[in-house]
Amino acid sequence: MKIWSTEHVFSYPWETVIKAAMRKYPNPMNPNVVGVDVLDRNLDTDGRLHSHRLLSTEWGLPGIVRAILGTGHTRTYVKEHSIVDPEEKKMELYSTNITLTNLVSVDERLVYRPHPDNPEVTVLTQEAIITVKGVSLSSYLEGMMALRMSANARKGWDAIEWIIQNSERENVPLCELY
Amino acid sequence: MLIVLKMNSVGEDCTDLKREYDQCFNRWFAEKFLKEDRSGDPCTEMFKKYQHCVQKAIKEKNIPIDGVEFMGPNKEKPDS
Repeated sequence: MKIWSTEHVFSYPWETVIKAAMRKYPNPMNPNVVGVDVLDRNLDTDGRLHSHRLLSTEWGLPGIVRAILGTGHTRTYVKEHSIVDPEEKKMELYSTNITLTNLVSVDERLVYRPHPDNPEVTVLTQEAIITVKGVSLSSYLEGMMALRMSANARKGWDAIEWIIQNSERENVPLCELY
Repeated sequence: MLIVLKMNSVGEDCTDLKREYDQCFNRWFAEKFLKEDRSGDPCTEMFKKYQHCVQKAIKEKNIPIDGVEFMGPNKEKPDS
């Protein structure tokens, strides 16, 4: 098991960042995400919005990797649960893979909040627990995956920035972009 | 240059329903929810149609939705 965590600051207010986060896909940094669906969405008794989403990703794995994984299916699926609290200004996102679970588990938690010292900017804290199963090199592989998570996190931040800037450039409010 | 990207549904037939719902939701989210306006959700009917399609696609593709534990907070299912 490997625990990985990081923190990033977006130079935009919280509302702007989470509007982009709720509409993160599609974006040029994550071309592997090929499908996103909302499975359930509701308000809880504290006025927080819960969304459960399914993401499908297509990796275009090379043939040999597919042979090792023992599958012709290169589609993997991730389940996400997000909670937006507009009063407290906090958005939490939890995600986990629901395919390849016999090989690896990647559980991620993201929290977006206004920066405690500067309410005009937003802090994203991000952590993941990575577990590679049934392989003797598991801690080595988990270490490699943690490195990949850092690279992916960077892509994720760029994706949010792209969503924000793409709508600003066109002077279109984020909700009108479609 | 306006870059227009659109996302697909996990079920190919559901993409139009998804985009229609997303547009409604994104508007409500930005203009009502984040401004703590609690007036009703205009997207309920759209969501039902979209959901019906997605649930069918999930069954057809055998996507393993149920029985997955999250490391998220424990909560009982809230009322809609």
